[in-house]
Amino acid sequence: MKSLVTIHEGRAANWALRLVAGAAVIGVMLWVPTHGSNPLIDQFTNAFVLMAAAMSLNLLLGYTGQISLGHNAFFGIGAYATGIIVSRWGWSPLVTFPIAFIVAFVIGVLVSLPALRIKGIYLALVTLALGLVFPQFIKWRKLTWLTGGPRGLDNAGFNFSKKRRTYEIFGWNPFGDMRGQGAKPFYFWIAAGVVVITYLVCRGVVKSRSGRSLIAIRDNETAAAVMGVNLAGTKAMAFGISAGLCALPGCVSTILTNNVVPDSTFLSIAGSITFLIVMVIGGAGSLWGPIIGSGLYVFITQKTGDWSDEKNIPAIIRPFFSWAKTSPGTGIFAVTLIALMFVAPRGIVGVWHQHSPRLMRIVPRRAGTGTGTGTLVDTPVDDTVAGEL
Amino acid sequence: MSLLEVRDITVRFGGIVALDGLSFSIDEGQICGLIGPNGAGKTTMFNVVSRIYQPASGQVLYRGNDLVGARPRRLPLLGEVPFLGHQVGVPAHEIANLGIARTFQNLALFPSMSLLENVMVGAHSQGHVGFGRAITRIGTAKENRVTRDFAGDLLVQLGLGPLMFRPAAGLPFGTLKRLEIARALAARPSFLLMDEPASGLTHGEVDELGDTIVTIRDQFSLTVLLVEHHMSMVMSISDRVVAMEFGRKIAEGTPFEVQSDQRVIDAYLGTGV
Ligand SMILES: Nc1ncnc2c1ncn2[C@@H]1O[C@H](COP(=O)(O)OP(=O)(O)O)[C@@H](O)[C@H]1O
Ligand SMILES: [Mg+2]
Repeated sequence: MKSLVTIHEGRAANWALRLVAGAAVIGVMLWVPTHGSNPLIDQFTNAFVLMAAAMSLNLLLGYTGQISLGHNAFFGIGAYATGIIVSRWGWSPLVTFPIAFIVAFVIGVLVSLPALRIKGIYLALVTLALGLVFPQFIKWRKLTWLTGGPRGLDNAGFNFSKKRRTYEIFGWNPFGDMRGQGAKPFYFWIAAGVVVITYLVCRGVVKSRSGRSLIAIRDNETAAAVMGVNLAGTKAMAFGISAGLCALPGCVSTILTNNVVPDSTFLSIAGSITFLIVMVIGGAGSLWGPIIGSGLYVFITQKTGDWSDEKNIPAIIRPFFSWAKTSPGTGIFAVTLIALMFVAPRGIVGVWHQHSPRLMRIVPRRAGTGTGTGTLVDTPVDDTVAGEL
Repeated sequence: MSLLEVRDITVRFGGIVALDGLSFSIDEGQICGLIGPNGAGKTTMFNVVSRIYQPASGQVLYRGNDLVGARPRRLPLLGEVPFLGHQVGVPAHEIANLGIARTFQNLALFPSMSLLENVMVGAHSQGHVGFGRAITRIGTAKENRVTRDFAGDLLVQLGLGPLMFRPAAGLPFGTLKRLEIARALAARPSFLLMDEPASGLTHGEVDELGDTIVTIRDQFSLTVLLVEHHMSMVMSISDRVVAMEFGRKIAEGTPFEVQSDQRVIDAYLGTGV
């Protein structure tokens, strides 16, 4: 296949491309919290929460092939870790992140123990049970002293004073006005930080021997074991890390709303389904898939959010939705999902990988030392896959 | 001492007796051919050594250690701990660490990975980077580079260099059979089991494969157990041949002896040897 541009990995053009892409991402990340409107900042922050959760699920389902419909529980463990520690003990919300990670990691590993023996639909059912039980467990009367029961916990986020307070760095004010609930840019940075950490953890795992063993398990368990992959141990670690990572956006969600209740969307089974959907839309088993999927999801729900009033629906598509009494947002998303699954079964990233070689191809660095056999250097590469940035 | 000694192995699947008291042994450095009609139990034998099937009885001694019998339970870091009971045999994932690698008759590759990544997974038992180091990136770059170059060299040697970045899915059967060999070699084994490596190859390629097997045996100082139906190849490169039928050994010896054995001729009658 001919492509317009051919870039060799590791050469100057490749680095330039990475630099441009990186600069674009950083540019947006700096512009939004400092110059964006409050709703826009909110939108990004919400997308970040979803992103981190979807990325954590991606590590388990997308890469290791182990389905979990119980990730809302791990998200909830994070949300309640922050809630309990901040609201009951008065610690800083920031120290709750590592604690939440560890708690969720341990519970994730414990949950994985029965999961090591079961597969597919049975694993889906076991994890579904976890997801369904979690909100009920939180509401259990005997735990009210800890979880606050159905009413949840208040004052679970940052407690800024009423006074106007800003932190300037050379005249630049990245955190905005931190008083009361008005610290939107600050929350943006926390959520962004969680996404960056989650991304780095996932990337580090995926591009290593351990990550290759995850994909090997997904592709062929027997062969993976014959290659020396400890199936039980590796799956348990995948469960643990995935659960631990999923707790982090849970912490963020509590910080954002300053409270935590057992019936909020992402803590119920709907959370798991949402994580699953955005991961699949973006592209399971790719690093950028969940990021793109979450962005799209939040964008669509935001756009269609006020469509319950017919006047707000764009004129072109209004006739299609005149029957709807409530906002057709969910319906639109469902239709988009079905359509996408037909044209792009491997998600948006899958479409990119399928079509991008016509536009741009990144030729991977040749592997091999070239010693012994003289054929290495001049063998033409038959075909290549475009690498992820 | 023989490298592998199979003693009285019996494997049953429901009513079927796939291996029926099979015994044979292989000396270090040999290429040992394992022949027999379809259903004789050759692949089952491989799966017993790989610890995929647990035999009903018998022993598989590798360098004198039994792979399949009960042994004291071992814990990570602590090793053998008393009062923990017994575990049955060596776990499947530790077989690669012992230096035993194999290929699969019906391919067991990782279809979504490139050929290069497939071979890199083959080197799993050679690596050290676990999840902790992967997350903190301590030593990952170096290990990736070393593994990648090693895998690339193996692919080039097996004539798959130009295809190394292609996903394994969708390539011809014969190509993938060679990929299986490259992946098995990536574990730096001392004992290689090959299950019908020549299936799907043309006649010319079969001869070439025979040469390849001898070459890699010498280069990597391997002991090879070779299951193959191409008799001319098996007979020309094997130091010894074991013939099976219905899960039992029917003949054993030099290629010449086995070829002229009446029971072997009977077993193959009609299959055109
Ligand atoms: N997993 C299994 N379940 C049931 N029967 C099996 C299984 N594996 C092998 N067999 C049976 O064991 C016998 C030997 O098979 P196999 O080892 O594949 O033979 P070969 O490789 O020599 O052609 C056959 O009768 C086969 O049907
Ligand atoms: Mg067979």
